[in-house]
Amino acid sequence: MGHLFSRISPQTLRILALVFVLAAIIFFFSTQVPNYLNGRLFNRISSSVAIMALIATGQTLVILTRNIDLSIGSIVGFTAFATGSLISANPDMAAPLLVLYAMVVGAAFGAVNGILVAYVKIPAIIVTLATMALFRSALVEFSNAKSITSSELPLWLVNFPNTVLLKFGQFQLRAGFAAALVVVLLVHFALARFRPARRFYAVGSNPEAAEMAGINAKATVFAAFVFAGALAGLAGFMFLARFGNITVVAGLGFELKSVAAAVLGGVNIFGGSGTVIGAFIGAILVDLIDTSLVRWELVSEFSREAVLGALILVSVTADAVLMRRLIGLRANREKKLARAAINAQNRSPEVSTPKQAGETST
Amino acid sequence: MEQPVLELRDISKNFGMTRALAHMSISLFPGEVHAVVGENGAGKSTMIKIMTGIYPPSSGALQVDGTTVTISGPHMAREKGIVAIYQEPMVFPDLDVAENIFISSTREGLIQNPARLRHKARQLLARVGISLDVERIASGLTLAEQQAVEIARALSQDVRVLIMDEPTASLSAHEAAQLRRIATKLAEDGVSVVYISHRLEEVFDIAHRVTVIRDGEHISTRPVSEVTSDGMISEMVGREFESLFEKSPSVARPEVILEVKDLAVDEIFSGVSFDLHYGEVLCMAGLVGARRTDIGLALFGIHPAGSGTVSFKGKPLVITSAAQAMKAGIAYVSEDRRKFGLAMPMPIRENITLATLGEFLSRWGLVKRKKEVEVAETFKKRLNIRTPDIEMAVGMLSGGNQQKVMLAKWLNMKPDLLIFDEPTRGVDVGAKAEVHDLIREFVAAGGAAIVISSDLPEVLAMGDRILVMREGRQMGILTHEEATQENIMALATGQTSTREVA
Repeated sequence: MGHLFSRISPQTLRILALVFVLAAIIFFFSTQVPNYLNGRLFNRISSSVAIMALIATGQTLVILTRNIDLSIGSIVGFTAFATGSLISANPDMAAPLLVLYAMVVGAAFGAVNGILVAYVKIPAIIVTLATMALFRSALVEFSNAKSITSSELPLWLVNFPNTVLLKFGQFQLRAGFAAALVVVLLVHFALARFRPARRFYAVGSNPEAAEMAGINAKATVFAAFVFAGALAGLAGFMFLARFGNITVVAGLGFELKSVAAAVLGGVNIFGGSGTVIGAFIGAILVDLIDTSLVRWELVSEFSREAVLGALILVSVTADAVLMRRLIGLRANREKKLARAAINAQNRSPEVSTPKQAGETST
Repeated sequence: MEQPVLELRDISKNFGMTRALAHMSISLFPGEVHAVVGENGAGKSTMIKIMTGIYPPSSGALQVDGTTVTISGPHMAREKGIVAIYQEPMVFPDLDVAENIFISSTREGLIQNPARLRHKARQLLARVGISLDVERIASGLTLAEQQAVEIARALSQDVRVLIMDEPTASLSAHEAAQLRRIATKLAEDGVSVVYISHRLEEVFDIAHRVTVIRDGEHISTRPVSEVTSDGMISEMVGREFESLFEKSPSVARPEVILEVKDLAVDEIFSGVSFDLHYGEVLCMAGLVGARRTDIGLALFGIHPAGSGTVSFKGKPLVITSAAQAMKAGIAYVSEDRRKFGLAMPMPIRENITLATLGEFLSRWGLVKRKKEVEVAETFKKRLNIRTPDIEMAVGMLSGGNQQKVMLAKWLNMKPDLLIFDEPTRGVDVGAKAEVHDLIREFVAAGGAAIVISSDLPEVLAMGDRILVMREGRQMGILTHEEATQENIMALATGQTSTREVA
């Protein structure tokens, strides 16, 4: 066991723990909700995770640099609406162009955040709190308080998320989820191996050192916000495709869920560490709890938020406590090993040392 | 004559009305260790920042290999092979050692190959002469290891000028010696090493040439063979300087104020026993990791002792919290100004009254500003805190003056026992003497002091008795008459036991 601890990195351990929690939650609800555990659950969760995973990924990029993006839900809402009205006005538009449009609009919003945070040096929480409201108002203004309905959308778009790519019994791998998974894996690989992307970690870990090491910290933070915006734009596109009906409240509350997903997934809220895969599992966890609570009769609609909040708090607390323990355990082990090594080194020249302290005072 | 790698020609730098550097000229040659000495605020750090492109000079020229260049930032300085490492190393705590070394490298491809990175990191660390697990996360590294990582980072990009700013200030003697070896080795490899240190003995140990600067001006540059310690100090302070190392006579009285028996904190230190007299200064010497600070923290109730007895002013005392220690009359001045000592953005006045704010409250619980100002002004005069205004943020002061503010904060508590942890770390020679005088004044007025110091000359100058620690064990107590640098080090490194010394 001790051997295992010292081999596995804390990040991997955290992901294993998350998977364990995920299994525990599924088990719990399967005892509470009749007919819970089946393929339909997987299909339902995977459809909504397709959206949540993208914004959790975007949020992770920002949090890694020691910032936060609270405007992410408003960006999702705006791009969903903007993309929807573009396609309903030009029904023949090519799909890749539409996706690109959504991402560029999202990136533009991200750039506004990025400029204010990185270059004007206003704390991210203030900037994005303000832009959360501003982008939402922009949506209200832009939409003229009208809604988009799925009848205005071309069929390919509405059908896209539910297109079944692979099927194992009741379990369906749908296109929307598959697309999100590809994006998550791409970003994950980039963050792990792509050199410029490692700078997100460097800047979040020690901004001063990054500057001294010749890393352009401002540009890095700016880039994080732009990418987060683009991912939110992509999520907006998925949102449009999945729901078809877009109102001014589209994506409301996503900012908190994305932060929750990232933090649950082990992304350090103070920057510098965490993985996209972790955030992805965190997103699944948040969605799973959210969807399952709807079906749990014991919990009324009104206390659902409270239960979700409490679960997040409990899991993050447990995580923090356990991790601290674990790290302490490891440090002690290392210390013991080091001490043993020193003792072995010193044994020959000074056998009598432990006694001397007492002798001096007498 | 060889061509200098880097040359400053007649460089001046102004910040608003203040002139940080005035007509500074210095040439750095490949293969030399060039020591730069000067008091805090003499302009050393400004000079480094100009060399590394953090500040543009107000006037004058910078030459690399004989051609005038403009260095627009740290990134460009790195490209030219000019790298600075600081007392507080700049590592990324969340990244592993290998990545820390190569994070800003421009040579590695776009896609990182962890195995190759680790391999190259091991090679570089071997060149530095340190064995370190390159897969370890940097947050657990000691200061010395972090510096090694930074040096390896510099080597990864063909460093030509390596500027080391007070690199040994927080290192143990052994680690410091190792770092000096690295510096010497790099110079032998043809790197031009700029070595900035307050420890003059280090300068004599490794430097080829010594430049003294004062008040932003170049005073002298000489081969080290033509320099004497006294000469260097008098050039630094600009006046003849009475020797720091002279011990003033003890004013200890026979009555015991503090009696410590078998004090221990689990797994950290054990078997610490000593007594302290009124008017006495007890110095605690030892290498880093000797656990001296932990004794201070135990006596001050931050990490209460697990076993052992303490009797203070004749009564047994079990110290479990800092508030209780303060009430009993014990003050502890931390070695880490930034973390435990001062609220840097707050004004001097508020820092001085912070620990004793209760005394400044009016009947309604509001702070009496007028009384605060009076006390702060009194201390400003008494401790000679050099500042135009007590409302200035403490963070703006020099190290020595920050130290005095911290001391003022605790003196205002009117303690009977003052535990002073590394009182003069990062403090220039002039302020050092002033801090020493203040401690002597304090004990002469009837208090008792425990001074924890890694600076041996300081230990010898201050200590009426010297308690030597090693890895959590008390190695012995020497009287001032017995103590020499050699026998303190012998105890601290575990080469002798007390009996042989006595």
